[in-house]
Amino acid sequence: MWTELGLNLEAHDELLAVLGNAYKDIYMKQENRPKGMQYLDFVISEAHGLRIEELMETKRKGNKVVGTFCVYVPEELILAVGGTCVGLCAGAEIGIDEAEKVLPRNTCALIKSFMGFKLAGLCPYIQASDLVVGETTCDGKKKAYEILNDYKETYVMEIPQMKTERDRALWRGEIVQFKEKVEQLTGRKVTVETLRQGIKIANATRRALQRLSGLRKATPTPISGLDALLVNQIAFYDDPLRFTKSVNDLCDELEDRVKKGIGVTKNGTPRILVSGSPMAVPNWKVPYIIETSGAVVVAEESCVGERSTRDLVKEDGKTLDEMIDAITDRYMKIDCACFTPNVERTDHILELAKDFKADGVVHYSIQFCTPYTVEAHKVEKALQQKGIPMLRIETDYGMEDMGQLKTRIEAFLEMLRK
Amino acid sequence: MDIVILNRLQQLSERNLLDIAQAKREGRKVIGFYCLYSPIEIAVAAGAIPVSLCGTRNDPIEAAEKVLPRNLCPLIKSSYGYAATDTCPYFRFSDLVVGETTCDGKKKMFELLAEFRPTHILQLPQTQESDGALSFWYNEVKKFKERVEKETGVIITDERLSHAIQLTNQERKAKQSLMDLPKRNPSPISGLELLTILFKTGFFMDKRAKITLINEIVEEIQKRADQGEGPFDPKAPRILLTGVPVGLGSEKVIRLIEKAGANVVCFENCTGYRSVFTIDEKKEPLQAIAEKYLAIPCSVMSPNPGRIELLTELIKEFSVDGVVDLTWQACHTYNIESYNIETFITEKFGLPFLHLETDYSESDTEQLRVRIEAFLEMVKG
Repeated sequence: MWTELGLNLEAHDELLAVLGNAYKDIYMKQENRPKGMQYLDFVISEAHGLRIEELMETKRKGNKVVGTFCVYVPEELILAVGGTCVGLCAGAEIGIDEAEKVLPRNTCALIKSFMGFKLAGLCPYIQASDLVVGETTCDGKKKAYEILNDYKETYVMEIPQMKTERDRALWRGEIVQFKEKVEQLTGRKVTVETLRQGIKIANATRRALQRLSGLRKATPTPISGLDALLVNQIAFYDDPLRFTKSVNDLCDELEDRVKKGIGVTKNGTPRILVSGSPMAVPNWKVPYIIETSGAVVVAEESCVGERSTRDLVKEDGKTLDEMIDAITDRYMKIDCACFTPNVERTDHILELAKDFKADGVVHYSIQFCTPYTVEAHKVEKALQQKGIPMLRIETDYGMEDMGQLKTRIEAFLEMLRK
Repeated sequence: MDIVILNRLQQLSERNLLDIAQAKREGRKVIGFYCLYSPIEIAVAAGAIPVSLCGTRNDPIEAAEKVLPRNLCPLIKSSYGYAATDTCPYFRFSDLVVGETTCDGKKKMFELLAEFRPTHILQLPQTQESDGALSFWYNEVKKFKERVEKETGVIITDERLSHAIQLTNQERKAKQSLMDLPKRNPSPISGLELLTILFKTGFFMDKRAKITLINEIVEEIQKRADQGEGPFDPKAPRILLTGVPVGLGSEKVIRLIEKAGANVVCFENCTGYRSVFTIDEKKEPLQAIAEKYLAIPCSVMSPNPGRIELLTELIKEFSVDGVVDLTWQACHTYNIESYNIETFITEKFGLPFLHLETDYSESDTEQLRVRIEAFLEMVKG
């Protein structure tokens, strides 16, 4: 199977060995983990194994796999044509030498990562994809897709930059075109029935993740930030039905913990809201440092977190047009910093900080991610007015700054305790 | 450069500020612009004064970094810094500032700049190729027109727009005749002289005076050329500079190239050749404006075939020996696009290509000098 996918086998084995060790050190050493996490441990251990076999199996049946990089790509439409939507590898410093032959060194780590994974032949998901979908969210991605397209055909959706009626119309047009694209890809029509089903499946996953998020409001919180992040990360590539069921099972267990007052940390542990750029698997660096420094992450205001799970698609559409309207409206609510002026993001951060009783906010930007690094100023100002301290972190996927970050985070937590 | 020309430029520059102050006292509105995508015709048609805003010098960057991230493009930091420190007279004059969603950095910076002045943001599509791009952009231009009408109290009729287009077409034609001077071989003008004239006249409020002055300068330099005078050795390598916009205060790369004995003969950037399009005077004016402005080949467009087309044309017309692609640090779109530009230039033309990434400071000048000299060695081959 691996040869069929055109992977670089030797390097892929090395990658898996490194990831396996990192996972052991970061995840398996946590104390008091919920039992429900065993399913996620299993999924991650099979991310480059059984899950790929499943994808190949569905392809053999004539279904298509669509790879994406961003929460703006409407998976409802992919599901509606019997396709599988998978998030593509973009969370590790892999194939950097290869990537830097075609991209500048000072490009965001996420972008260099997806390019590196592709050029080094190490992402089985992109190899298995029948269609790769990009979007014009930020400068870096927009321009990198032009280059990625030389190696794997990339279909690009244009994301508006504001939220007026005209922007909504532009985005709706993009969604309709995307519908035509997946119909053409699969030779299947999106119907009222199949799209309704797609909307239900995607909403069910979001509801399960919302439930997980809601349980973390409890003090003490029943699950670590690292584990919750992992659940949100795995949402991007696991089978949605099986995943949703497993998350709900996990939530049952967590509900029980909350009732009994059992938490992963003691009362009085500083509660941190992480906000900013997405953390794609296996990017666990910042939450790992936070949680091994005596604090707990209670929410992620991120595309791998609240921003992708907060809003549902309305399910009462009766015609395709109504359903596409509902999808358009839902995706227009995403408050990525690529929008201007994007005041709703600041509002959401304040709301989350309050609801989750956060003692402080760690604003995380991937280095060279201009939208988030610039927006951090406004976020900090708004939090300051509410008396909530914020720590601004800008980092990449490398481990060189681990010590420095730990020192800064410890000092920040020290301040919170006072 | 000719002392007489320099003196006239200097005199007019000084008078320009007084003229704007006077016009403002008489009730005319001033509208400040940053980017080539913002159609100045709208301001001209309303009888307002369009001015270019400062953003090409290093001085206010330190102040900007109190609010903006350090690793942001110097043009954006400089623009914001001038506004925050209130050191750009044109910004101070502006009743309205026009921004646009070209790149991430500017788009987000304008959110902060809006604290200092009323700011109107034009939303630029990210592609020129989609079916809806032009009508989307047309609506943005129309909204801008309505905003300017509100600010000035002037109804911008088609007739007013047509007159504005005629005037700015003349202005662009004059600029082009200046930029075309280095087509002569050897070139009668250095790249730095060319930039100085473009930059200084770029602030002039009186467009007719500007057109007259540029035409006179062109004539003067033509005469010099006819007498065989030129600033460089006839064998000096002819360099095309492509990439980000450059102004006085951020001209170090041009200075270094020309100090090393080569001649920058053409600018494929927003200060240079990208700015000299002609708007169709026969079409419905707002539509004609929208079409021409959307076609500007900045790297924020994806894809950006217009830049390749323009480069193809310019490399031939200016008998170019080598291409230098300049990127301001942290300008992702030009930085990433450089890969495709290099592939194109080297494969299609077999020309030597140098990609430089720098900022407005002098900290890397020596390093740049070494790289440029090595590059020119290769050009001379």
